[in-house]
Amino acid sequence: MDFDAAIRLTEILLALAFVQQSVEHLYGPKAEQRLFLVRLILSILLLIGLSTQWICVVLFINGIFILKRFQGPYNGGSDRMSLLILSCLCLIHFMPTLYLKEFVFAYLALQVILSYWLSGFFKIINPEWWSGQVLKDLFCFSAFPASENLRSLADYPKILCLASWAVIVFELLFPLIVLSQEILVMGLFVSLVFHLANTYLLGFNRFLWVWLAAYPSLIWLQQYLMTNFSH
Amino acid sequence: MQTLISLLSVFISPWQFFKESVPSPRIEITLSKTEEESYDWQEFCLRPKQLSTLDILKSIFFNARWNESLFITDCAERLILDPTEYNKQEIVNRIKFELERRGLDLKMTPYLQFRLIFVTSHGTKLQGDILYVSKIEKIFGDQD
Repeated sequence: MDFDAAIRLTEILLALAFVQQSVEHLYGPKAEQRLFLVRLILSILLLIGLSTQWICVVLFINGIFILKRFQGPYNGGSDRMSLLILSCLCLIHFMPTLYLKEFVFAYLALQVILSYWLSGFFKIINPEWWSGQVLKDLFCFSAFPASENLRSLADYPKILCLASWAVIVFELLFPLIVLSQEILVMGLFVSLVFHLANTYLLGFNRFLWVWLAAYPSLIWLQQYLMTNFSH
Repeated sequence: MQTLISLLSVFISPWQFFKESVPSPRIEITLSKTEEESYDWQEFCLRPKQLSTLDILKSIFFNARWNESLFITDCAERLILDPTEYNKQEIVNRIKFELERRGLDLKMTPYLQFRLIFVTSHGTKLQGDILYVSKIEKIFGDQD
């Protein structure tokens, strides 16, 4: 995937993620509907591909108003990642040289890799993760299980211990995706399954769409590294 | 300032998801006819009992109510760390919005009070600590 195609694909996927979020907010309290109606219209324009550099800038300004409205992110990490992707797109459109544009896109890819690796790192240094205790508590009494019957998963400590290690190993090994195209395909497939599982278990649907929008940067970075540093 | 901090955190995010087990907030509410009366506390929860396969598939594309529930949880946590009027009011507004969505006639019980209980586990036992109790306020009709 060449650089321009990766940027355009990022715009399309981010626009879809924003459409998905905006539609959800149109169902919410009136006070926030106007901001998300604006975001919905801008996202459709981004999807179509009209003056994308300016649409990205206006979407960024809209994003700041949304941050101000909720006094921080509405949906935690997914809002942070979507704003990071949007900021990088804005910078890429206005950078004077291809080298600087590629640098910004590589920074986005690095942040996506770190989003998995750092999560894995903070888990593996916590003994409560080794035994599955954190996942047990998560299902037993936290506010996150997407339905009441999922709380019964807390009664299966062996499965939760196994799941904990599966998550830790996946997150820590994620940076290896840059090594080859085969590992990249496998890594992105496992991460898709991971996000689908999070949607099912914890209702984190926005993370799925937003992280998907960041994947073109990983595909591009892997190809870039292989092309330029494989010898 | 808060917006600027949030914006900066986008570029140097710590990316720590569920790094440890932390106390989790429960919201309990009581609705009453007058400011003096008070009834039993009941849990305010947007979590469904169970989800069908169709619900799960739908939730990939549209999960508004659940994302609202996650935001209320976030406001509850923020309210303890940073007891601002904004966080309290967001919780009140969203409780009111949900009660109206459920078709509850708030004319009968226009006074709302909520409290935040933070649940932790001690071995096999769960313990809840009440860390915040709001003032009783009128959420329907003319404000006093």
